[in-house]
Amino acid sequence: MNNTQNVALIARLFSLADDEFLLGHRDSEWTGHAPLLEEDIAFSNIAQDEMGHALMWYTILHERFDQPAPDRLAFWRAADQFHNATLVELPRGDWAFTIVRQFLFDAYEQARNDWLRRCGYAPIEDAARKLAREEIYHLMHSQGWVLRLGDATEESHRRMQAALDLAWPHALGLFEPPAGDEAFGAKLPEIQAAWRAAVEPRLVQATLTIPGAATAIGGGRLGAHTPHLAELLTDLQKVARLEAPEAVW
Amino acid sequence: MDTQLRTFEVFHQSKRGEPHVHVGAVHAPDAELALMLARDQFARRLDCTSLWVVPSDQITATTPAQAEAWFEPATDKSYREAAGFPMRDIIKKAENWSK
Repeated sequence: MNNTQNVALIARLFSLADDEFLLGHRDSEWTGHAPLLEEDIAFSNIAQDEMGHALMWYTILHERFDQPAPDRLAFWRAADQFHNATLVELPRGDWAFTIVRQFLFDAYEQARNDWLRRCGYAPIEDAARKLAREEIYHLMHSQGWVLRLGDATEESHRRMQAALDLAWPHALGLFEPPAGDEAFGAKLPEIQAAWRAAVEPRLVQATLTIPGAATAIGGGRLGAHTPHLAELLTDLQKVARLEAPEAVW
Repeated sequence: MDTQLRTFEVFHQSKRGEPHVHVGAVHAPDAELALMLARDQFARRLDCTSLWVVPSDQITATTPAQAEAWFEPATDKSYREAAGFPMRDIIKKAENWSK
């Protein structure tokens, strides 16, 4: 592998890993607080799944690209070193926002993984195949709630529409290419089209209005984040940073 | 207002061919979501080949008040039980002996 390919794959892996890591963290903020006991358990499970997926991507970075160990990457980077889309760093909000965000992300992952499974780099292809099963369940879960909450009551509809209006421009930011990854970048418009074809009919079915005029909020892939990420990291990294970076847990 | 939706009874099968066994209940707005939530409560750590959910209000059950009249015989009917055969005691004795 030459250096350009290396740079591209590292950027790709960080975008994959950081999305899952931060969404997993935001999801975990519902543990003990979800609206139903059953959903509390289901959603905590999804949070753990996302963390597990992040670990897979971080492990590839560590083992094959000489990057720091997963714990170092998680606990010792500053906000501008994260390459997640801003969608996943936004505060957890209400249950409607959580579900809408999760749905938009789950559908993105599915569309993206269709390409990752044959992206030409075997460790990523293998991981994408391994994750596919859990992703199918995640999407079923979030889509199930979108369809039910969209038109359940006047309040649920209002909250879901507000959530969609807030999340949508950030969700478009998922399709911002990671710096230097031309192969992925070239595929992203196609992935976005597949994503739209998957989410738009479901949102319409849920009686929600797609904010058609919205433009993408980008920057996340390049390290430019909302202030929410720094706040999140302060909280997330607090305990790890009580010790020296070399501390083993 | 009840914010916990409806309940569904969950039946879990651990192996193909085995009976579905009642393992608990979940709250959910409808059967499809109940099935999904049942998966997280009951099928994540147990081996599972199939799940059923049934709306709790669709189960017709005896009441505790009926239990005596329905289930407790007035006279000794143990002679009707297969377990009443004398062979049982012989087998028990043999089992205990081998311990």
